[in-house]
Amino acid sequence: MDFSFTEEQEMLRTSARDFLGKECPKTKVRELEADERGYHPQTWHKMAELGWMGLVIPSEYGGTGGQFMDLVLLLEEMGRNILPSPFFSTVALCSLPILEFGSKGQKEEFLPKVAKGEIILALALTESSATYEASEIRLRATPKGEEYILEGTKLFVNDANVANYLLVATRTGDRENPEEGITLFLVDATSRGIKVEVIPTTAPDKQCQVNFDKVTVSQQNILGEVNQGWEIVEFILQKATILKCAEIIGASQAVLEMSNSYAKERVQFGRPIGSFQAIQHKLADMLIEVDGAKYLVYEAAWKISQGRPSILEVSMAKAKACEVHQRACLDGIQIHGALGFSQDHDIGLYFRRVKAAEFALGDADFHRERIASELGL
Amino acid sequence: MDFEFGEKEEKLRREIRNFVKEELPPGYFSLVAEEESSDEEWEFAMSIAKKLAKRGWLTMAWPKEYGGQGASIWEQAVYGEEVGYWGIPGTSMGVSGVGWVGPSLILFGGEEQRRKYLPLIASGEPDGVWCTAYSEPNAGSDFANIQTRAVREGDEYIINGQKTWTSAAHRARWCWLAAKTDPDAAKKHRGISLFIMDMKSPGITVRPILGYSGVHIINEEFFDNVRVPASNLVGEENKGWYLLMQSLAFERASFGVGLYGSNRRILDEIIKYAKETQCRGKPLSCNPLVRHKLADRAIEVETLKLISYQTLWKTSQGIVPVYEPSRDKAYGDLVMERLAITGTEILGAYSQVPSPSKWAKLRGCVERLYSFAPAMKILSGTDEIERCVIGQFGLGLPKSY
Ligand SMILES: Cc1cc2nc3c(=O)[nH]c(=O)nc-3n(C[C@H](O)[C@H](O)[C@H](O)COP(=O)(O)OP(=O)(O)OC[C@H]3O[C@@H](n4cnc5c(N)ncnc54)[C@H](O)[C@@H]3O)c2cc1C
Repeated sequence: MDFSFTEEQEMLRTSARDFLGKECPKTKVRELEADERGYHPQTWHKMAELGWMGLVIPSEYGGTGGQFMDLVLLLEEMGRNILPSPFFSTVALCSLPILEFGSKGQKEEFLPKVAKGEIILALALTESSATYEASEIRLRATPKGEEYILEGTKLFVNDANVANYLLVATRTGDRENPEEGITLFLVDATSRGIKVEVIPTTAPDKQCQVNFDKVTVSQQNILGEVNQGWEIVEFILQKATILKCAEIIGASQAVLEMSNSYAKERVQFGRPIGSFQAIQHKLADMLIEVDGAKYLVYEAAWKISQGRPSILEVSMAKAKACEVHQRACLDGIQIHGALGFSQDHDIGLYFRRVKAAEFALGDADFHRERIASELGL
Repeated sequence: MDFEFGEKEEKLRREIRNFVKEELPPGYFSLVAEEESSDEEWEFAMSIAKKLAKRGWLTMAWPKEYGGQGASIWEQAVYGEEVGYWGIPGTSMGVSGVGWVGPSLILFGGEEQRRKYLPLIASGEPDGVWCTAYSEPNAGSDFANIQTRAVREGDEYIINGQKTWTSAAHRARWCWLAAKTDPDAAKKHRGISLFIMDMKSPGITVRPILGYSGVHIINEEFFDNVRVPASNLVGEENKGWYLLMQSLAFERASFGVGLYGSNRRILDEIIKYAKETQCRGKPLSCNPLVRHKLADRAIEVETLKLISYQTLWKTSQGIVPVYEPSRDKAYGDLVMERLAITGTEILGAYSQVPSPSKWAKLRGCVERLYSFAPAMKILSGTDEIERCVIGQFGLGLPKSY
């Protein structure tokens, strides 16, 4: 048993925290909300220089071959600071599956560019139902000679507005089991017939509708095997989900800390509001829950990094983290009183992003269902 | 016991529903806190206010001589419920006039004040729009800690200070203002007075404070030697606190049935959505999880209705409710928060999309509800303060702070 990070990891955490604090203060976060791209290219390049994009990419593809846990704590810091960037889409949702399932050619083509920060990738998976059920993948890919023709619509695709390539889940077969007959393609986002529209959201982030109107893609761009794509989605649903959890608990920790310090500062009735039990108990509950969620996330991440099956732990972590974070934000605002409602205070920035994180890679109910299955129910 | 409305109330309900059909665009219902925020919605709300005034509904409970109809508490309840359910805009005239300034003036205002201000509110005209300025940077829950000063000079008071979080101050013609008149009073709350202030007076600066979702509901105001005629003092000097507590009770009570109505509407909309939306080849409404959540929300909404009615009933018996408005407000907050969460869970990713986007579902009502629910738990007395009131005055427990 060891609940600590290595010294190098602690150093990575400290330097990430420093960098993000300087490079992306909350004024920048607010500015980027109104930015069409939704991220800052200069920051993006600096992140690449720090080696963040290539953190877990092996050195033969231009990365530094770090450990999965490094990525976990990096995302925790990004969540803590709210970094608006296509990092999660590019690295967690797309580069990890390319690394695992890509052909040598694909790895050579994409990974070095990812590591250098030269390309942005986005995962086009969910459709009109906005759920992560295999049966809901309907976008058609029809073979035509050496090529496939893609036809359909993806919804709530993060960062498609700035992506160079889209990793697209398509339907190529209609078997009884909806998980069979899914194929993933790496599609050049500038291909003819692709139309991207940004959906206005609470966060606001860059979730997009992507239309595929007879888009031609070479069969060379298939990731993994034809009709075997669900295996890759399942892989994403574990690895990327736990990275999303890391982001969430980083944010919860920030909310806990800011609410706690406000409770110590704010005086009403001649005493700090933190001296009222109603407030103190809220904070105590928050601490219990945030700590609990954090270690669920770490355990699942550790199992993944050991290459062990971890559907149960990942789903537990996601279901818990979503709920804990929502509660932390709601109670955190409550502790701040009207100040927490105002745009000038940071806590609202966290609150507005609760739902985006919750619906990314399956909400609590989706993961509870997976937990139940894993429990043999 | 009798849990039914009489024929008179049901007739009123039918009339209001006809009004809704005639005057509101099909499928319309106003979203929480929508009307103060946008000019367009505000104009529409005021146009409806005028029509409600013409029908005598806007201030129906008030005595006839002040622009009311002398309607019964139960007619008022039906009106409030329908207003909430159909989301009829313009019914509160800013935020304060109909709900608590009017009832307070009727209870303890001077006759001249009643004759001047009540008909203005009842008319539904812009000159009848009010805001309420209690909170300051250092006086939120600790309301009595206000520092804004009112100093008597001849037949005027000179006001200096700062107020914050004032709803609809950017729309209001009048302000229901709490200010300190005796800073040396032995107890803080004994040196406070209540004033009516013309928002057009020189020396008032109103600045917007946007909510985290970008809505413009609240403002901060700076008062720089603002002159208020002494005749605008409500009640006696330094005795404002007791009037303010009464006004706050009216304020909290004003949420009750309306909050029930709007929550009921949103619940109905979500139920409809669950029935019409397919997931894995079946309507969402077949999913036991969805069913149980909605069943729980239905229990809560019904409970909110009943406790709000009970408060009204008590009032109708001539008893002044003490802790009940706090009970209803605290419970209403909880109902709203849970409904908002359930709504987002059922609408899923679509619940992040605000109106008027083409991807928004149910006119974006769930997105708006979820964004606003935290504010509801703070305004007009935080959940914690409401519980302190319930503990102290409802349960007779020792004061806890
Ligand atoms: C949308 C909105 C509209 C508003 N409109 C108006 C308006 O029109 N006019 C107006 O005057 N004000 C308005 N307010 C302000 C509102 O009345 C105050 O926000 C509220 O009274 C709380 O004060 P505060 O924000 O200073 O929080 P604080 O009083 O600083 O409270 C911070 C936290 O401490 C808790 N706390 C404080 N004291 C105690 C205690 N004794 N025991 C336990 N917990 C305690 C609170 O519950 C809260 O959780 C509005 C607020 C909002 C959000």
